[in-house]
Amino acid sequence: MKTVIYSSPFVPAEWIAAHGVRPRRVRPDPAAAVPRSGPPMGMCPYARAFVGEAMAACGAGAAILTTTCDQMRRAAEWLSMDRGPPVFLMNVPATWQTPASARLYRDELQRLGRFLVSLGAAPPSPARLAETIERYDGRRAVLRGAVGMLSAREASDAIARFDLGEEPDEAAPAAPPCGTAALGCADSGLCCTPAGRRATLPVALVGGPLARGDERVFDAIEQAGGLVVLDGTESGVRTLPAPLDRRRLGDDPLLELVDAYFGTIPDAFRRPDALLYEWLGRELAAGAARGIIVWRYVWCDMWAAAATRLRETRGLPVLDLHVSGDEAGFARTLHQVQAFMEVLK
Amino acid sequence: MSGRAKRLTLDELDRLCRRRQAAGEAMPAYAGPLGRHVRDGDRRLLTLEYDDSPAALRLWNFLLTEEDRLHEARAAGKKIVGTMKDLGTVPVMAYALPNVVAFYPDGAWWTPCLMELSEGLFGIAQSLGLGDAFCPVRAMAGAFVNRAHFPIPDLATCSVGATCDDFSAIAQRLESLGYPITWWEMPSRRRPDPGEPGVTLPGGFTAPASQVALVRSELERLRAALARLAGSPLGDAELAAGIREANRVRALLAELRQLAYTADPCPMPALEMLIAEMLAIHFCSDREESAAVLAELLDEVHSRVSAGRGVLAERAARLFWVNPVADLRVMNLLEDCGARLAGTEYLFCHALDAIPEDLPPMEALARMALADPMVGPSADRAARVVRDARAMGAEAVVVSRIPGASHCALEGTVIGHIVRQELDLPVVELEVPPVADALWPTLRTRLEALVETVLERRKR
Repeated sequence: MKTVIYSSPFVPAEWIAAHGVRPRRVRPDPAAAVPRSGPPMGMCPYARAFVGEAMAACGAGAAILTTTCDQMRRAAEWLSMDRGPPVFLMNVPATWQTPASARLYRDELQRLGRFLVSLGAAPPSPARLAETIERYDGRRAVLRGAVGMLSAREASDAIARFDLGEEPDEAAPAAPPCGTAALGCADSGLCCTPAGRRATLPVALVGGPLARGDERVFDAIEQAGGLVVLDGTESGVRTLPAPLDRRRLGDDPLLELVDAYFGTIPDAFRRPDALLYEWLGRELAAGAARGIIVWRYVWCDMWAAAATRLRETRGLPVLDLHVSGDEAGFARTLHQVQAFMEVLK
Repeated sequence: MSGRAKRLTLDELDRLCRRRQAAGEAMPAYAGPLGRHVRDGDRRLLTLEYDDSPAALRLWNFLLTEEDRLHEARAAGKKIVGTMKDLGTVPVMAYALPNVVAFYPDGAWWTPCLMELSEGLFGIAQSLGLGDAFCPVRAMAGAFVNRAHFPIPDLATCSVGATCDDFSAIAQRLESLGYPITWWEMPSRRRPDPGEPGVTLPGGFTAPASQVALVRSELERLRAALARLAGSPLGDAELAAGIREANRVRALLAELRQLAYTADPCPMPALEMLIAEMLAIHFCSDREESAAVLAELLDEVHSRVSAGRGVLAERAARLFWVNPVADLRVMNLLEDCGARLAGTEYLFCHALDAIPEDLPPMEALARMALADPMVGPSADRAARVVRDARAMGAEAVVVSRIPGASHCALEGTVIGHIVRQELDLPVVELEVPPVADALWPTLRTRLEALVETVLERRKR
């Protein structure tokens, strides 16, 4: 079975799986971003990391990127010019309130299907598609249940494993060892072992996607006295598709996918972005967050604009982290988090 | 060959203007010495050098009085449409209605340059969370908030999707501040898949017919919104007439560009040509006058070419320029370095190409909108640059990056790579901030080195 890698939450894993292809939603490794993974300056570190990851993924049958941000849209072109796997650029509309935009998303799923078939995949029958969707929905329900019982770090790890195709585990996994040197916190003076946690201040982490290794930010927040009560990053629960309506699944399974993904996932790129702020309003209140940490990469305009707006609309202190994707940058991030927590106290 | 046309300082240009006024020469009502705009804060005008023709003086006056025209239109009861991001499509529709005036709030991106950052628009943008990680078009947000520039439009439209993230984020911020925006989807243009019906767009790009249909349906939504605003229907006949008028402007500009970018010596400076090209996007808020301004400019160029007169020495290094500059003064600089323009791609070539008149108007407009170089692959854009640079006999290509623009880093790299591969021309990438004085020595050195390279290559 071929493997397809992607990173956008708007790519339905079950659609790929129904074609007999293994979907792997990856958190790219910034270390894979060798210098030739893009121009020397001005490129988003996450997009660069994804290009590097895709070029290094010898076993990948294809890479799927989406148009949800300018840099990833153009990274698809960069990747296709280089010696990477075949690339599919999926057009995810920014508008969402018209029938035309939902139709475009559906058409793009069908085009993705044809792309997979051109690589040797098999087009799914409606029954196979419905069965695959139902299976994923069931697994996702287990994941949701597990996530509610885990720390933010553990939940993020569980989602990452789910995205890579592993079965979700209802039992809470063991916390990872500290690995201070690998986590880059040796120089920061922060320790992220459970013993060092003084979790007293509920905060939300919202923003763009996490790259591989970025999960340590959860530890850093806890070590600084915080508790992440809401993971609103692109890699967290915010971007889980809605549970499906099984009664309608038999009628038009593809339409169910469109509704579950395009119809519900809130994000900063959508126009208007009302879904995102509705979701944040609801979830921030539910978690009683006392501060918001915005996780955004340098050059990410969508989340850059959101930081000030969050401060205005939610009336909470906001820490706007500029994530650069390198170790020196992460050490800086740790200090910023620590300072923010001190302010919150 | 007759004497060379001159580039004038602002004082020299204004003296010439006053002499013409005193001599009773016919001038439009909006014309006058440009010094009055300096008194209003446009201090960058003091540092620019201008073409010495009455046609160029009219062009500058027309450009610098746009905000006055918009306020007058509002006072006269006309409806004002702020058309954001699409650069050339929606104004063609808006001007097909008799009581509607369209403009691009995006144009405020040059205000910090013209006012040399004294206007505080970037500061306001910063306070809204739109700092210098965003491209200079963030000045637009400041202009909406302080209301000291353009009137707040009765209807604001914005194309999103395959457009730049800077703009999408800024426009969303505006909506969050209470400025309603009619969003419309611009899909990421791609080449048709094997067996998929395709359409050749104006300018030569291709796209799947399904994408054209989608854009057409989005434009239909805008047609309805415009008609509601105007209180009168916007039928195909009105749109067809609007397209013909837009094409009249585009035809004038096409001839002007052909002459200005190919005749030797260069008959019109780069700075005035940049302004002239901008007129095609939205007619500077007066479609008829826009055509008249371009016609006079074209007459001037014709007469100079016939007389063998130019503004620069013969055989100046021929540069193809990609992207508009945030600091207008850089257009003077390239000529100071011994170069001239031999073609441009200022991010809106779709606003220069003729709109098909043999198609239903909405189909024609949809095809034109989808031909926007920003919404497709950089390789498409590079192919257009290659084609036009070859046709215009360019000897080098300058990719002028826009600071903070999310598309520039990858796009510039791809364009540079393809141009080198296809044309074997030297390519230079520059970054031009709104006031580039601090970078002047660097910019000058890089352009001079490029000119030297071009002249050296002629000896091969």
